[in-house]
Amino acid sequence: MVRILVAEPSYLVRKGLSTILNELKTVTQIEEISSADEIREALTSIIPNMIIINTTISSMPQVEEDIRKHTPDAAVISIFNTPIPKNTNEKTLSVFDDKSVLINKLRSQVKSVQQTYIQQENSEELSEREREVLQKIALGKTNKEVANELFISTHTVISHRKNITRKLGIKTVSGLTVYAILNQIISMEDIS
Amino acid sequence: MLITADMKMADLIHLDFQLLAVIQRIGINLGFREKTIDEVCKENDVDTDFFIQIARSFHDKDYFPKEKFFTFKAEWLIHFLRRTHQCILEYKIPEIEEKIKLMVEDLKETTRNYELIKNFFTEYIRELRVHMELEETQVFPYVLALSECIESKTKTEGFEKYFNEYNIQRYLEDHNDIEEKVFDLKNILIKYLPPPTDSCKYNSLLFEIFKLEKDLQDHSKLEDKVLIPKVKLMENELENL
Repeated sequence: MVRILVAEPSYLVRKGLSTILNELKTVTQIEEISSADEIREALTSIIPNMIIINTTISSMPQVEEDIRKHTPDAAVISIFNTPIPKNTNEKTLSVFDDKSVLINKLRSQVKSVQQTYIQQENSEELSEREREVLQKIALGKTNKEVANELFISTHTVISHRKNITRKLGIKTVSGLTVYAILNQIISMEDIS
Repeated sequence: MLITADMKMADLIHLDFQLLAVIQRIGINLGFREKTIDEVCKENDVDTDFFIQIARSFHDKDYFPKEKFFTFKAEWLIHFLRRTHQCILEYKIPEIEEKIKLMVEDLKETTRNYELIKNFFTEYIRELRVHMELEETQVFPYVLALSECIESKTKTEGFEKYFNEYNIQRYLEDHNDIEEKVFDLKNILIKYLPPPTDSCKYNSLLFEIFKLEKDLQDHSKLEDKVLIPKVKLMENELENL
């Protein structure tokens, strides 16, 4: 499933984009937001693979930083409120583009997103390292404790945790604990 | 279809039965005959415009007139949020709890997995209660007192006594996310738990969890996007009296 975040102030344009994206027949989850205030929450809750963002929003302070921080791998496509020359980069759209241009650009972008990390995502298997991190988290250890025990930095632990959450669709520690028990990564006795 | 005041109340439910929750929480009882939304609201002392705006935004997730919501009385909003709490805690949660207990009972010979789910949910209920109680005992009374002050254009005695040190920022600092665990529970049930033989019960449990999640999302949206920004505006207003 390709998750797409559409950040566009104009309701009409937002709906138009969603309609075109829905025509692409790829299984997609589309989340729409209309202002820079909502972006951080949207990034962390849906973890988009692709962000289609109006330049009036991406030029706001902090927005680019937030995107880099929360979803460094997401493909970012800009929408301009002005006409743009033909044959420009595929990662730019204009509200004046006609349907054929839009659909071609969007289709190739969605396709490339699909190829790159949807594959990784479908192989939902956790890596050896991620299993180790999960085991310790499920036992109730803090990021810092996990880092010390595995001789890695807390930063690395956090990035493992993000991947675990993305792969499993489980956000909370208690949820991860339940998963770990169900999959015999830890046993019920370990936590009591 | 756009919901309007001259529409019949009964037709509104036919249009979208999920709005039954809105009707109940805003304090309106069924038995509308041929009355319009406007007529029913007036009979029940509910502001028609408030009802329409809430109904529209629950019906269509793209419709959310933030600025307009700010113009409604804080009391109306709080009344609605309180009824929602009540409905969730006294009705929805016990229903899910009951369903989980049944699963544990049914399957205790074969697997202990559902005990895990039960414990997970019990922990969640505890968190949810704490969260909602904090709002009921601190935030809502604070907002009501604040609103009284603004109406009387002076800091009332009660406000000075109980809330002089309080502000909404304090609440935001220990305000935690109450939807994450429901999201997890849903995924565990869909993706990871070996399904029992009676999938009808299982499906109905999942169905209730989806509904709870949606309900909590709508509820948080009203709190985060309307109540809290409105309270900030009210705090400023009080400062400048």
